[in-house]
Amino acid sequence: MLTRRSALLGALAAPTILTAAEQPIKLRELYQRKGRGMSEFAEANVGRRIEVEGFMAPPLKAESRFFVLTKMPMAVCPFCETAAEWPDDILAVYTKRVVDVIPFNVKIVTSGVLELGEYRDPDTGFVSLVRLTEARYG
Amino acid sequence: MKLQLKISAIALCAATAAHAQDLPQAGSPWFAAGQEAIQALIDRQDNTNRAKNVILLVSDGNGVGTNYAVRMFAGQQEGKLGEEHVMPYETPDFHSALVKTYNINAQTPDSAPTAGAMNTGVKQRFNLINLGGDAIHDDCSTVAGNELTTFAEIVTGMEKSVGVISTARITHATPAGVYAKTANRNWEDAVPDDCTAQKDIAAQLVDQMQAGVIDLAMGGGRRHFVPQGVQTDEGGNGRRADGTNLIEMAQGLGAQYAWNTATFGELALDGETPVLGLFNDSHMEYEADRAEDDEPSLADMTRAAIEYLSQNENGYYLEIEAGRVDHANHAGNAARVMRDGVAFAEAVAMADELTDDADTLIIVTADHEHAIAFNGYCGRGTPILGLCYDIAQIGDKHSDELVLADDGKPYTVIGYLNGTGSVLVEQEDGTYSGARPDVTQDDATDLDYVQQALIPKSSETHSGEDVAVYAKGPWAHLFDGTIEQNVIFHVMHHAVNAE
Repeated sequence: MLTRRSALLGALAAPTILTAAEQPIKLRELYQRKGRGMSEFAEANVGRRIEVEGFMAPPLKAESRFFVLTKMPMAVCPFCETAAEWPDDILAVYTKRVVDVIPFNVKIVTSGVLELGEYRDPDTGFVSLVRLTEARYG
Repeated sequence: MKLQLKISAIALCAATAAHAQDLPQAGSPWFAAGQEAIQALIDRQDNTNRAKNVILLVSDGNGVGTNYAVRMFAGQQEGKLGEEHVMPYETPDFHSALVKTYNINAQTPDSAPTAGAMNTGVKQRFNLINLGGDAIHDDCSTVAGNELTTFAEIVTGMEKSVGVISTARITHATPAGVYAKTANRNWEDAVPDDCTAQKDIAAQLVDQMQAGVIDLAMGGGRRHFVPQGVQTDEGGNGRRADGTNLIEMAQGLGAQYAWNTATFGELALDGETPVLGLFNDSHMEYEADRAEDDEPSLADMTRAAIEYLSQNENGYYLEIEAGRVDHANHAGNAARVMRDGVAFAEAVAMADELTDDADTLIIVTADHEHAIAFNGYCGRGTPILGLCYDIAQIGDKHSDELVLADDGKPYTVIGYLNGTGSVLVEQEDGTYSGARPDVTQDDATDLDYVQQALIPKSSETHSGEDVAVYAKGPWAHLFDGTIEQNVIFHVMHHAVNAE
């Protein structure tokens, strides 16, 4: 059965999106190591549309245009953490359309306009330091 | 009759030995290496000295399988094929045994009771630390009367010093096993409101420093020592609801405090002034992500701890944990497991280099294994983090052909039985189904790659499979065969008391 999700995934796998830009970057390429801020790549590409590989963390709110991209599937490890914690290196994504949820462990490529600087999401209170806006993904 | 049999057996052995060098395979380097290996074992002499110092090195989650992968990776990083590599604790001067890691009530153990077993000599219950078998998880009312005496407390009574270091939070299960007694391993900075029988784990650490049991503690977990509403050294938020600043309290007791590489370098390793090092708000960084000028390595902390503790002429007990081998396994991210595993091996080598086998018992082990598994049939030298290459008909090294599964796709050497890498993906109707994703060599060897797994779980699990223990120094030869995990304490205890 062709669901909206499988159609989207199919579209994402198609070469059109991947070839629309250069090779997607890894999420970690946006950051310097712990506490050292953003990478040179990030600073140099503010305001540009970039493609980033990652995983969609389970959305904080239904019917939202916001999700968090993580570099690895957002594991919830009861023996590592006493409560769910966001990793340091994440990417807030503001989408053009209402988010169609993709399972947290399926790799996606997200394309969006890179923004830096602290921003508090008005709906969720989520504070981000780096974002993609006008984003599409698959 | 019995005597005759013995004589015949001796004659047979003699004949075998006499002819060994005449065998057609005698010229093989494998044969020579085998002869050297048994000679090293023949040359072993039991060390029955009293141990002045005991160092217990625990690589969390580094069971026999994980250790195999780390060995392969370490060797391949050095340009070897990998299989032939020998870790610093796998040389003939280390005795070894297999260790059964289950808990009183758990086939699959967690790190709290396993650390407790090694530090008290008795198996413990799942998620509890250093409480007897009648205590119940999360039930503070069962603490009183069930507190066990730790090895740290015992050797403190012998005027020895005690140190504990970890790349996990210093309040996490394995380091807490040295100094804490708790009905819940997660009570790192608070206990339930009605709980008066015990303090939280961070508070217990500072209490043990004040009591003179713990002399040196270094790791992560800073937030559990800082009040809510107070910024930590790196701008994070404190977690303590009771408003106590345990770092200031420790400093008030005369302790030195370090929070990054620079302040770590300024510590006076005088053996007298207690040391509290908290290098991250939560766990210290994975070795793959660590910046040298931000956090010391496990080997750096090992060197500093031994230099500090060696000032005590009566000796010391030091527990060293590589805490994040476990966390990377939980994430199904073998690439970070390998790097933290190598960092652990470097800490073992450092501890060995800085100590004397005559008076220091060094024990290297893991607390439990993970649901890690290995695919075949791969040729020699197949990159342990990469795709499985076929076996070559000529020479040693693998062929250039990838081995394909029945679905026509290649696969990595390492896989996990469960975890976020599951090939079964949740569908919109809540069911799980799927196919193995395509994976290239670049994908598989990327630092952030999550190995494919079977069963979908939000975090990969431990397994009940055995771990190994390796040891050198006084009474290390007692490690032999297959032992229960709590026996490790008994070897340590015997070694420090031997006449």
